[in-house]
Amino acid sequence: MTNPLLAFWQRILQAERAPGARRPAQRVPSSPAPRESTIFLVLRRMRAPLIGIVVFYAVSVLGLVLIPGVDDAGRPWRMGFFHAFYFMSYTATTIGFGEIPHAFTDAQRMWVTFSIYLTVVGWAWAVGTLLSLLQDHGFRRAIALRRFAVRVRALREPFVLVAGYGQTGQRLVRSLDMLDRRATVLDIEQDRIDDLGLAPLVVDVPGLVADARVPGHLLIAGLANPRCTAAIALTNDDEVNLAIVMTAALLRPDVRVFARAVAPRIAQRMQAFGNPTVVDPFDRFGDYLRVAIHSPSSFRLIEWLSGAPGSRLPRLREVPRGRWIVSGHGRFGGHVVADLRAEGMEVTVIEPGTPAADDPSMIVGYGTEPEVLARADPATAVGFIAATDNDTANLSMIASARAANPGLFLIARENAPSNHALFRAIGLDFALIASRVVAHEVLAHMTSPLLYRFLESLPRRDDAWASALVARLVRECGERLPDMWRVRLDDAGAPALVDWLADGRSVPLGLLLGKRARGRSHLRIVPLMRVRGDDALLTPDDDADVAAGDEFLFAGRGEARLVFNAVLASETARDRVLLGVDRPSGWVWRRLSRAGSAAGDRA
Amino acid sequence: MNLEKVVFGFFILLAATLNFGFVIGDIDDPVHHNEFELFAAVVVNLIATVLKFGDRTQIGAIHLATSLVADLQLIAASIVWAYAAYAMPDGITPHAMASIVSLAGGALFANVVSVVLLVVETLSFHRR
Repeated sequence: MTNPLLAFWQRILQAERAPGARRPAQRVPSSPAPRESTIFLVLRRMRAPLIGIVVFYAVSVLGLVLIPGVDDAGRPWRMGFFHAFYFMSYTATTIGFGEIPHAFTDAQRMWVTFSIYLTVVGWAWAVGTLLSLLQDHGFRRAIALRRFAVRVRALREPFVLVAGYGQTGQRLVRSLDMLDRRATVLDIEQDRIDDLGLAPLVVDVPGLVADARVPGHLLIAGLANPRCTAAIALTNDDEVNLAIVMTAALLRPDVRVFARAVAPRIAQRMQAFGNPTVVDPFDRFGDYLRVAIHSPSSFRLIEWLSGAPGSRLPRLREVPRGRWIVSGHGRFGGHVVADLRAEGMEVTVIEPGTPAADDPSMIVGYGTEPEVLARADPATAVGFIAATDNDTANLSMIASARAANPGLFLIARENAPSNHALFRAIGLDFALIASRVVAHEVLAHMTSPLLYRFLESLPRRDDAWASALVARLVRECGERLPDMWRVRLDDAGAPALVDWLADGRSVPLGLLLGKRARGRSHLRIVPLMRVRGDDALLTPDDDADVAAGDEFLFAGRGEARLVFNAVLASETARDRVLLGVDRPSGWVWRRLSRAGSAAGDRA
Repeated sequence: MNLEKVVFGFFILLAATLNFGFVIGDIDDPVHHNEFELFAAVVVNLIATVLKFGDRTQIGAIHLATSLVADLQLIAASIVWAYAAYAMPDGITPHAMASIVSLAGGALFANVVSVVLLVVETLSFHRR
């Protein structure tokens, strides 16, 4: 029997050693969160009405004590402080028990009439001040900031800071949540942070409405917490993203930084601060398009493996070669045109802006107008790309291009997520959703640097290889994206296996995955990559040897991963798989069996 | 001259002097301790406490703490007085009076600390 506890610890230890969980190398800057608690803020604003209430009560009570009264028998009687305070307490709070202990004289009644109005005014003043304070915008912001700071400080797990909760941020936070990773969110718009509170996430993500350009806000949002492992700048403003990269690099050089940048100028400036991962969605999409032209299967593999957890295998699409029409020569169109031309395609550009004089293939005009589109001659083209930043224009161009030539390969830029249903309905071959490209890229980078390395080396492989790998992954793990995880063969990552390898034995990978054990089905795990030193071996086969210190990237279902972890961590499971023998797992039985075999040797 | 500082110092000193006036005399002799003076001490102490709300400095925090202590002790003294006068069969005995005055004496100590703080604060404030 495998000791389940051993496998459990193995998983925990491994989780702690996850690449994201690096200890900060330097002192973590302290958060500038307001030290004053909100209760004192309230008290300071309530000073005047509180003094008012104290004075009004004191005057009323003193008056009642000083004014002479009579008891039931008509003898002179004076109220004590205790009774006066009791009477004022129930009168001022409008409870009103009546005239206690004796009926009042007319002089007392006059005074009580006066004191009732006095104390009611006092209470109204205090309650009014309190309510206006609670509705005060600045005060509510102070409370929200404080609550947020407390929640971020209380995070006891590694987390990432997401600045900008637009489309990209939303996708990323959702995926992180699915991967059971913690995040904190900053955004400048109240509506988006409200959305965050309503988002169907497993774990509540703390969010704050604040300007991410202010270093103090970034500190509160996580940079001041040593468990912050990454800062991700996803706002739609390159300058803001640059400011975030700058702050993170200067205040916390140990956290990893990801940033979205569309302008190459800004991207260069970002590179000056540490080593941030800068993602340009348009450039990246152009790169993908080139991969898709070269090798449709590689593209399919990249698309699948960098997708959200559990996503389905996308369909295979062949990008045709021939003349392309690109409508819109902006940030996206420019990249795509350059990439298509680099692949040796002829490209006709439709653009209403000023044409470059030396470009005869440029047609000046709006692609939405029939005569302009007709001049581009869609009938003889193979593909059409609607690349403007207007969804309605893109949709109408796609519709008229398809009417002119039903065989066109159609690509459109999708700008607003609310139009997603329309783009789906019109039936595109590819849609560029900038937010999705960035989210996938950051996610792949962050959750698994090894996977990212694997994906990066894919375009250099041929199509047949990629196609075979897709088939193998589907055979072993099904059509939903499998778990992908990293294993380092060292004392912490695979104690039992390292012991075995230290004895001078070598193990072929196939045996480790249970392929030769008698009478057992093998583990449904596909090894994607082996990294030894600087060498990376893609999809090592069953005969590839395994040595201590190797790093592996595996893909497989969660159940297979559990079993495999046990093989790495527990000697019993290891021996069962590698030798096909069941060794006793308890200390006593191990001693007994060792003594028995020693006695047998002597005999 | 700052009116706010005058009011602040006035209430702190008045709280201490009223408290002192109430405590002085034989500890168990009701004749030496005036209930109006205790009432005034409670009220002025409460006002002094509220005036100290919201000062963010360290010395402000100690100020507030001393006032809260004084309030607590004086209110406890008032409750003992009310209980002895109305709920006990014998009324205010020398024993009850001694309890009341010793509680108020504790408050006096807190008030003295408050005054010392005020003086220290004033001395450390350099005139420019």
